Amino acid sequence: VPVDRKRLYLLGGALLGAGIVAAILIVVGTGGGSSGTTTSAGTATTTATPTASLAGIPQTGDTLGRAAAPVTIQVFEDPQCPYCKEWNVDTLPSVVANYVRPGKIKLVYRGINIVGPNSEYGLRAIYAAGLQSRLWQMVDQLYARQGAENSGWITDAVIQSAATAAGANPNSLMGAFPTAPVTKMWRNAENAATANAVRGTPTFVVQRAPALPTQLQLSALDPASFAAALDPLLQ
Amino acid sequence: VRLRASIAAAAVIGAGIAAYLTYVHYAHIAPICVTGGCETVQKSKYAELVGVPVALLGLFAYVAIIATTAVRGIEAAFAAVLLAFVGVAFSGYLLWAQLAPIGAICQWCLGNDLVISVVAVLCVARLLTEPKPSE
Repeated sequence: VPVDRKRLYLLGGALLGAGIVAAILIVVGTGGGSSGTTTSAGTATTTATPTASLAGIPQTGDTLGRAAAPVTIQVFEDPQCPYCKEWNVDTLPSVVANYVRPGKIKLVYRGINIVGPNSEYGLRAIYAAGLQSRLWQMVDQLYARQGAENSGWITDAVIQSAATAAGANPNSLMGAFPTAPVTKMWRNAENAATANAVRGTPTFVVQRAPALPTQLQLSALDPASFAAALDPLLQ
Repeated sequence: VRLRASIAAAAVIGAGIAAYLTYVHYAHIAPICVTGGCETVQKSKYAELVGVPVALLGLFAYVAIIATTAVRGIEAAFAAVLLAFVGVAFSGYLLWAQLAPIGAICQWCLGNDLVISVVAVLCVARLLTEPKPSE
């Protein structure tokens, strides 16, 4: 079937037009966006880094905050999870400043493997840091070094570097990987994930005893959205 | 008619992929992923264009392509080709982004690349064979 010339011109025009439109989109996309993979890192309501915000907060094992705090939030995360990093960087400092430090809530870290096998190595390191009361700093320092999912970025060198930055002893931390207390904290997290039907990370489970635990329903991970979801449960 | 139906069917698949990725974007959940890099890609700066998820833009484009299949004529065929070509070009850019700067592959993006390529080929065939109004 012969194709008339007009249609070939139309096809050429479409090719040219699409090229121009795509080029504009790409230029706008690369020029207008923020850099890196932490696009919303600047939206935190406090300027403190997560590690700095933890100064002076009591920490025992996997728990951050006063033991007598009336409300407990279990924080389910995976060290390879980019959204967990986003929450940790953007929102954790505000949560610590507004809820944990005044003794309103305590946070329990529930690290679980969602992304892949490399997460398990990171989780061992995190729970081992808990034996030195540096678990939450270790979580933050691993996020600060986070690479692409399942790229194998959680190496001995990364763990040692993160442990040092977290204020932990890297040698005794790595020596504690196979110990029973580390395994116990990890198993507690996995059991809690099963009990609370956790299917992704980050997930936040709030409990004010004697009420049953309930998953926090978030519209977004920024401090304002987190506070909006949490405040009604603290009434 | 057969070509327009084929384009619509392929575009519906593409719209499904785009709708799913738009949903997981706004729900802040990890997409189902066997390639292991979906969340990294989704969380990268390439996942948004001026604050709008590229998945949502893709959804709009697929819906527009589907709409063109409801209309006869060379104008509608031209509009579909234009949309499909933009989609192919931008998908190519995103594929490059996955392979180079991001360093992670998202299966949903690869699926979309395949679908938009098929849609583009069908749209070209339609533009070249669409009956004239008098025919």
